[in-house]
Amino acid sequence: MGEGKSEVLQGTLDLMVLKTLYAMGPLHGFGIARRIEQISDGVLDLNEGTVYTALLRLQQQGWITSKWGISENNRRARFYSITRQGAKQLERETENWQRVAGVMDRVLKLERQV
Amino acid sequence: MHRLRMLWARLRGQAAQASEDQAFDEEIRAHIALLEERYRLQGMTAQEAAWAARRQFGNVTALRERQREQRGFLSPTEWWRDVRFALRMLAKRPALNVAMVLALALGIGANTTVFSIVDAVLLRPLPFPHPQQLTDVQSSDTGHQFEDSDVSYPDFFDWRAQNHSFSHLVSFHDTSLTLTSVQRAIHLDGEVVSWDLLPLLGVSPELGRGFRPEEEKFGARVVLISHALWVSQFGSNPTIVGQTIHLSGDAYTIVGVMPAAFQFPVDALENSFWTTLAVDNDGTPRALTANRGAHEMSVIGRLKPRVTLAQANEDMNAIAARLAKQYPDTNTRHNSARVESELKALLGDTGTLLLIVLGAVGLVLLIACGNVGNLLLVRANEREREMAMRSALGASRTRLVRQLLVESVILGLLGGATGCALAFVSTPALLRLIGNSVPRAADAGVNLTVLGFALGVSLASGILFGLAPAARFMRSDLLSPLKEGGRTEAGAQHRLASAVIVGQVALGIVLTAGAGLLVTSFVHLARNNEGFNPAHVLTFLFETPDSRYGTSRAQFYQEYFEKLRALPGVESAGGSMMLPMTYNGATVSFENPEHPLPKGQLESASLDLVSPGYFRTMEIPLLSGRSFNNADTERSPQVMIVNRAFAQKYFHGEDVLGKKLKPGTSNGPTSPPAWRTIVGVVGNIRTGATNREMDPMYYLPASQLPNWCCLYSVVRTQMDPLSLEPEVRNLVASMDPNIPITDVRTMRERVALELAQPRFAMVLLSAFAGLALILTLVGLYGVMAYSVARRTREIGVRLALGAPRMMVLQMVLRQAAVLVTIGTALGVAGTLASAPLLRAFLFGTGERNPDVLALVCGLVALTGLLAAYLPARKAMQVDPSTALRYE
Repeated sequence: MGEGKSEVLQGTLDLMVLKTLYAMGPLHGFGIARRIEQISDGVLDLNEGTVYTALLRLQQQGWITSKWGISENNRRARFYSITRQGAKQLERETENWQRVAGVMDRVLKLERQV
Repeated sequence: MHRLRMLWARLRGQAAQASEDQAFDEEIRAHIALLEERYRLQGMTAQEAAWAARRQFGNVTALRERQREQRGFLSPTEWWRDVRFALRMLAKRPALNVAMVLALALGIGANTTVFSIVDAVLLRPLPFPHPQQLTDVQSSDTGHQFEDSDVSYPDFFDWRAQNHSFSHLVSFHDTSLTLTSVQRAIHLDGEVVSWDLLPLLGVSPELGRGFRPEEEKFGARVVLISHALWVSQFGSNPTIVGQTIHLSGDAYTIVGVMPAAFQFPVDALENSFWTTLAVDNDGTPRALTANRGAHEMSVIGRLKPRVTLAQANEDMNAIAARLAKQYPDTNTRHNSARVESELKALLGDTGTLLLIVLGAVGLVLLIACGNVGNLLLVRANEREREMAMRSALGASRTRLVRQLLVESVILGLLGGATGCALAFVSTPALLRLIGNSVPRAADAGVNLTVLGFALGVSLASGILFGLAPAARFMRSDLLSPLKEGGRTEAGAQHRLASAVIVGQVALGIVLTAGAGLLVTSFVHLARNNEGFNPAHVLTFLFETPDSRYGTSRAQFYQEYFEKLRALPGVESAGGSMMLPMTYNGATVSFENPEHPLPKGQLESASLDLVSPGYFRTMEIPLLSGRSFNNADTERSPQVMIVNRAFAQKYFHGEDVLGKKLKPGTSNGPTSPPAWRTIVGVVGNIRTGATNREMDPMYYLPASQLPNWCCLYSVVRTQMDPLSLEPEVRNLVASMDPNIPITDVRTMRERVALELAQPRFAMVLLSAFAGLALILTLVGLYGVMAYSVARRTREIGVRLALGAPRMMVLQMVLRQAAVLVTIGTALGVAGTLASAPLLRAFLFGTGERNPDVLALVCGLVALTGLLAAYLPARKAMQVDPSTALRYE
C-alpha cells in the first residue's frame, strides 16, 4: 500500500460506481476504473478487479444493466448503464452518505475539552 | 422483496455459472490488455507493463472465485469439495451418523408411505378427461332433517331436462344379475345407468359402441361388459359384440367391451357390466322409472365449460324447489339439491382422516429432526476448535455455515434414501391394513411424485435440523475456543437443545393422546353390543330371478329354509333382505292413523324384509308378541314387527301390539300398500358397525311381499360357520343349478370389514405415537447424558466439597423434570386445541377424554424420568478425583 493512499471504505465503491455511471452514461469496466482513478487524483488505492465485484453486485440488485458492445478502440466490451431503480438508490445513498459525512465532520472537529 | 430479488439473481447465476465464467474472463482479459497498453505508452517494456497491469488489477484467480461465489451459491468445484469434506466428516463418527440416518429414515419412510396413499386417494385426479368438471348431484332438503340423498327416476328425468349447468347428467345404481348362458352360472355385479354414461366420462369402449338414447326406452336390453369378464367368460372373442347373453333369465345384447382400466363407479372394482335404465321399467305405472317416491339413484354430472359449482348448485336448487311445489306428496322433503365435486363426494370423511394421519406422521418427522438437530448441536460443540481454526485460517463465516448445511443435507438425503427403501416395503403392508376401507387406495405405490415428495422432505429436514448448529456459528465468537484453556459458555446452545426437547415432548403428547383416543374408540366399537350375536353365523346371498321365481318365490324360500335348517350342524336359519353390516338398507314412510300427517310429510323409518327364523338365528330378542311364521302368507292378515326404538319413538312406549300402520310398500303393480297389524316387538340392532345410534326399524314378512328380491341367508352353526359353505352350495345347486351363491362371509367378518377404517386409523396413529415417544425419549436421554458429561467437572467439584450423591442425582433429575413438565403442559394445551379434528372419528368417547390425557401424561412423565435416570446415575457415580484431573 503506497504512502499517502487511502483504502476504499467498504460499501463506498458501489456508490462510486453508481455515481460514475449516472454522470457518464454507459461505460465498460476499464472506463469506470479510469474515471474513478481520475477523480480520486490517485489518492485511492483500488484493486481494479474489485470494480467487477461491485458491478456484479449492483447488477444482481437490479440497479445497473449490462450489454455487450464495441468499445472506442474496436474491442468487444461489456457496457454497464444505470437503471431507474439504480438512480433512485443513488439518491438515497447520496443523502445517507452526506448525513454520515456531516456527522463524521462534526465529530472530528470536536475540540479537546480537558 | 430485496432479498427475494438477490435470491433469484443468484439462482439464475448459479444456473449460468459456466457461460458467465467465460464472459467474465473475456472482460478481464480486455481490461488487463488495456492497462498494459497504457503502461507501454508510458514507456515501460512489455514485461514491465504486464507486471504493472497485473498489480493494478489485483489477483485474478481470487477475483474469479469471488465472482463465482457472488454470482450463485457455490462454484461446482467448491460444491464438490464441500461434499467430499462432509462425507469424510460423516465417516469419522459412523455410530452416531448411522443413528441419525436411522431416525431420519424412520421419519421420512413413514411420511413417504402415508404420502403414497394420500397421493393415490386425494391428489391424483379422477381417471377421466377434465376430471374437475365431474360432480356428484344429490337430493337434499332445506331443513336438513333427513339424510337420504338418493334421487328418484322421475326427479332425475326432470333435472336432466331442465338444468342449464350440465353437458351430461347420468343416474346410476348398483345391481347384481346371474350370467347363465356360460358353462357354470356366475353372479355378476353391475350398474344400471343412463344412456350417456360414456360421453359424460369421456371414454369409449375398446370394442363395439356405447349406449344410444333410444336404449333407455321400455324393453331395451343392452349391456356393456368389462374387459375382465370378456377375457374370463368369453375367451376374448373378438366377435362378441352383437351376441346375446342371458342375465338372470333375460336376453341382453352385448353392444361393447370396456377397456381394462375402466371402472365405474370409481370405487366399484368388481363391476363387470353396465346396462341402461330400461331394465328398471316394467311398463306399468308403478315401475321404478315412474315412481317419484322411490329414491334409489345416485347422479353424476359433467359441468358445462365455465359453469361453476356455485352456479350449478343454484340451478339445481331452483329446479328441486319447483318440483317440490309441483309434487308436494313426494317431494316436500326433497326440495333442494346439492352439487359437489365428484372426488370430494367419493371420499367423504376419509379425506379428512388421511390428512390427519399425514399431519401426525409429519409431527413424527419433526421429532426425528429435533433429535438429529440436537445430536448435531452436540457434535458442533466438539468441533468448536476445528471451526475456530478454519476461521482463523481465513474461512469466511458463511463458508463455515455452508459447510455445516452441506453436511446436514447429506445426512437428510441418506435418511431419505433409506426412508424410500422403507416405504417400498411398508406401502404394501399399509395397503393390506387399509383393505377396501379407503376408495382408490389400491392404486397407491411409490412412484415419481412420491419419490419427489420424499426428496423434498429430505432436503427440507436436512436444512431444518442443520440450522440449529449453523445458527450457533453465525452468532458466537468463533475465535475464543482457540484462546488458552478456552471454554465457551455453552448456555445458549443448551437452551436451544432444551427447547427442542420441550417441543418433542409436547408433540409426543399430542400424538399419543390422539392415538389413545382412537384406541379407546376402537375398543368401544369392537366391544359394542350390536343387538345381535355375530358369533357362529354364516351369511351369503343368491338371487331368485323374476324370470323363474316371479310367482313362486315365497314357496321356494320356505322350502329352501326348511332344507337349510335340516343340514347337519345347523342350529337355525333365516333370511333378511337388508342384512346388517352389508350397507344394504331402505327407508320407507308409513301412515299412522293415531298421528295423521299430509302425504308429503309422513314419518319414515328403516325397514327389513325377513323370513321366519331370522330373529332366532341372529339372536335378536323378541320382547313381546310373536315373530313371523310360515302361516304369514300373501293371503293371510298383513302383519309387521317393530323394534323397541320404533315403539318408543312413535308410540312413546305404550303397548304397540295390535296397532295398525300402513307402510308404503306394495307387492307389485296390482296390490297397493296394505294396513298391517303390529304383532311383535324385537330388540334394537346396529345396522352398521360404526353407526352411533340404534335406529327405529320395522320388519315385514318377506313371504307377504314375494315380489321383493332377494334374501341374504343367515345360518347359525354349531361348528366353524365357513365349514358349512360346500354343503349350502350343494343345497342351492340341487334346487336350481342356475343360481350361484355369492358374498359368503361370516357375520364376524362383516363386522370386522366395517371396522377396517377405524382400525387402520388406530393402528397407524398408535404406531406413529409409539415412534414419536421412542424418538423423544432417546432425544431426552441424549441431551441429559451430554449435559452430565459437560458438567462432570462441576459435579466433581460439588462432590469434593461434600455434596451428598443423592443431591447430584436429584439435580439431574430435576433438570429433566422441568423439561418434561413444560413439554407436557404445552402438549396438553396442543391436544385440547387440536381435539375437534378427531371428533368425527371417535365412538364412545368425547374428543377431550380426561382419562386418556392423564394416562398419556403419566406415561410420558414416567418414561421421561426413566430416560433421565440413567445419565443421572452416571452423574452420581462421578469420581471427584478423576473429574478434577480431567481437563
